[in-house]
Amino acid sequence: MLLKEAISPVRRLRRPGQVIYLSDRNIAMMIKELSERNPLRHLGLDMNILKENGAFGAVMAPAGVGKTALLVQIALQAMMKKFSVFHVSLQDPVHKVTLWYDEILQDLTKTYPVDNVQELREEILLHRFIMTFRVDDFSVPKLAERLNDLAVQNIFLPQILIIDGLHFNSKIQPFLQEMKALAEKQNFFVWFALHIHRNEQTNQAGIPLSIEGLQHHFQVILKIEEKGDYMSLKAIKGEDRDKAIDTELRLDPTTMLITDRG
Amino acid sequence: MSQASRNIRNIGISAHIDSGKTTLTERILFYTKRIHAIHDVKGKDGVGATMDSMDLEKERGITIASAATYCNWDDHVINIIDTPGHVDFTIEVERSLRVLDGAVLVLCSVGGVQSQSITVDQQMKRYQVPCIAFVNKCDRNGANPLKVISQLRTKLGHNAVAMQIPIGLESEFQGVVDLVTMEAIYFDGDNGEMVRRETVPESLLAMAREKREELIDAATMFSDELTEAVLEGGDVSCELITDAIRKGAVARKLTPVFIGSAYKNKGVQPLLDAVTSYLPCPLEVVNEAIDTEDTTRRVVLSGNPEDQLISLAFKLEDGPYGQLTYVRVYQGAIGRGDTIINTRTGKKVKVGRVVRMHADQMEDIDAVAAGSIGALFGIDCASGDTFVAPGVNLTMLSMFVPEPVISLALIPKDNKAQISMSKALNRFTKEDPTFRTHVDAETNETIIEGMGELHLEIYVERMRREYAAEVTTGNPRVAYRETITRRAEFNYTHKKQTGGAGQFGRVAGFLEPYAEGDFLFDNKITGGSIPTNYIPACEKGFQQSLEKGPKMGFPVTGIKVCINDGAFHAVDSSEIAFIAAAKGAFREAYAKAAPVIHEPIMKVVIETPTEYQGSVMGLLNQRRGIIVGAQDEGAMSVVESQVPLAEMVGFSTILRSATQGKAQFTMEFAAYRQVPASVAEKILEEIALRKKTAA
Repeated sequence: MLLKEAISPVRRLRRPGQVIYLSDRNIAMMIKELSERNPLRHLGLDMNILKENGAFGAVMAPAGVGKTALLVQIALQAMMKKFSVFHVSLQDPVHKVTLWYDEILQDLTKTYPVDNVQELREEILLHRFIMTFRVDDFSVPKLAERLNDLAVQNIFLPQILIIDGLHFNSKIQPFLQEMKALAEKQNFFVWFALHIHRNEQTNQAGIPLSIEGLQHHFQVILKIEEKGDYMSLKAIKGEDRDKAIDTELRLDPTTMLITDRG
Repeated sequence: MSQASRNIRNIGISAHIDSGKTTLTERILFYTKRIHAIHDVKGKDGVGATMDSMDLEKERGITIASAATYCNWDDHVINIIDTPGHVDFTIEVERSLRVLDGAVLVLCSVGGVQSQSITVDQQMKRYQVPCIAFVNKCDRNGANPLKVISQLRTKLGHNAVAMQIPIGLESEFQGVVDLVTMEAIYFDGDNGEMVRRETVPESLLAMAREKREELIDAATMFSDELTEAVLEGGDVSCELITDAIRKGAVARKLTPVFIGSAYKNKGVQPLLDAVTSYLPCPLEVVNEAIDTEDTTRRVVLSGNPEDQLISLAFKLEDGPYGQLTYVRVYQGAIGRGDTIINTRTGKKVKVGRVVRMHADQMEDIDAVAAGSIGALFGIDCASGDTFVAPGVNLTMLSMFVPEPVISLALIPKDNKAQISMSKALNRFTKEDPTFRTHVDAETNETIIEGMGELHLEIYVERMRREYAAEVTTGNPRVAYRETITRRAEFNYTHKKQTGGAGQFGRVAGFLEPYAEGDFLFDNKITGGSIPTNYIPACEKGFQQSLEKGPKMGFPVTGIKVCINDGAFHAVDSSEIAFIAAAKGAFREAYAKAAPVIHEPIMKVVIETPTEYQGSVMGLLNQRRGIIVGAQDEGAMSVVESQVPLAEMVGFSTILRSATQGKAQFTMEFAAYRQVPASVAEKILEEIALRKKTAA
């Protein structure tokens, strides 16, 4: 009798209807978990800032240090939070940009394992639109026309725009002003990849002198630097600057993923 | 190494639709004196190009079946397989690439690297086929061969180098400058048959020097001798450059690019020279066969005509004199009167006639030796079979065959049509492994399956023309599949004890989704609750249930069945009883496992003038398509998307009317994905209706 009493609660638990199998974890849970582990929040960059419409952010680094990879990570994190991301590339064709996303998602899910990568990929695919332009053909009116095409037919309404491959040359001031007007009108946040030169002189805040005059356009500036066997990522301008300024994140040089706090 | 094999080139010509590869082949045949007059695709003379031998091909201006032909150029024998450009016929492209040693990738100088070129390029990578590129249509408005070369680098990742630069472009296109010999080449005569070599025009000299330097720079990677010669300064000999480029091209590390306009008869002869100089001979390509007794062992074939025979039947054609089998001989030789063995069936076959094909005409020859392509008469086999000499236990690698994604019901008009239809289907299925046919047991209709709407349409049309089979077709049907999304348990007892021998069997266990494959059977029975000899019967029962899902009638995939308990009866249990028990168990659990329908999703790439980009995206959006991206390329835009196949029926007509015929699209299978609930309901309604009408 005693033995029976001891076993019965276990038996009750084993009744078929009450078992939760791990493979049944739903996709929403998975996405929530993955985005909660987002190391970018250490930089004071949780997703709230992205709700600030018409604001600009920049990822600043020399060539080959991982600007695109970081932007794609930011985009993936945003897509997991159901933000619509419109990725404009002025250097790579569509399939190459797609590859960036696929590879980084794959690496990300290796670092933070999830059960069904394919399902996750399909889910977030709905929140992404890639459009490529030739760099010399790209202009704000042209972009506005394309966005309008998509909006009128209710195909895609971006909340975050990523512009990769833009040359920050002498004509950039009017471009940024036009872009700002468009972003404010259509309510989206714009991330830019900002190419800088190695060993360029910087001001106190760490911003290269050549683009010092542009910094007022940006609400967030992230800077990637090579530091021997790793890459350092710092927010040199941000919403919560005091919190962010002391924080250094590291990027794994092989996967270009943010590893965690440095 | 025999001189004969050294002088053979087996090449394919592959490209995007309308890049002009059939026109190019026509010119090659003309300059090599295989034909004596040029007929254009859709030409005014109504003859059609020589390689497009089927009436239908001539009418539609597209190449359907890859006809094989050969020609002689400069002591070399060139075997050419003309490959179809439309993606629905990809199996033809794949088969040709399997047997080729090299390829010419034809690109349009206006369109550049288009979606289909990317598909073809991937196929070439899969079969490790070295290639050279030909930028065609330099006489067209907007021609820009240098842009195409840079696209080859950026879009396809080729290490592409210009071997020539154009003299004039568009309507001013006169000829090319050969960067190796530094000569200007012009093409005179009515059909460009007279090649005139002159000094490079002054205006192009600086550019030619610059491009030559780039070329030599790229070539030095493959030859130390050339590097030394360059470092020493002085003149670099043409032979050194050619050798280095050849090494790079054969190793697939360098893609030499040639330019011209086949239609205007310019640049074809230098391309033929390039085929003989830069593409490998059969002996330079490593071909492997699989040991039939130990399938993990690969055997490298010698390529020696004296060794024992190994050959691959890569294409069948049913001509007026019986079945014609195209073979590529990898080792040994096939001669008239030889006895050869089909490794798939193990049957001995005696070779009657051996012929060499030239589109639809043929020449009798004595033998096909190693490295060459020929055709055999009266050999019964399927496409992809390996023929060997008696005593050889090797088979050539099997070719990648995709699963069909669309089907169509055929209804013959009368009894006569029914007979002709079966004859035609019998032949088509042998020729094309992606084309399949079966009779639906419920509706009694003949169903044909294939890779796309056009694929099936062409076969129906061929049936009408070549076999006079009057058939009407039903609406195209998509190959849906079913799968489960939840784990479900079963515990089913099959019991029948009313009269005669009884039947008894109980199986218990669970079903669960299985992502790694179609089906997995896991036997976890312990203690003999089901005797071991009945386990295969259980598996069979489950497997039979997968053929048609109990709910919707589509094949069930992605499922794992685990049995962990059961019961038997010493007298009444039998194999049949356990098959029935497994089927019952499957039915019981399946309904609880939340079954869903999966549908084929196609990768659809549309190239359109930029002004229609918006409406094209609208069209895709209306069809439940997900737009992956849009690429702005100046005047043209490329829209990449994923669209359910079910929504693509009749799309070509809709696209044509929406863009005034200026856009074109390609479509290929991408993946299976779950159907949204609202659409699934409609599908179920349709099935119910179909069953009702059939009954």
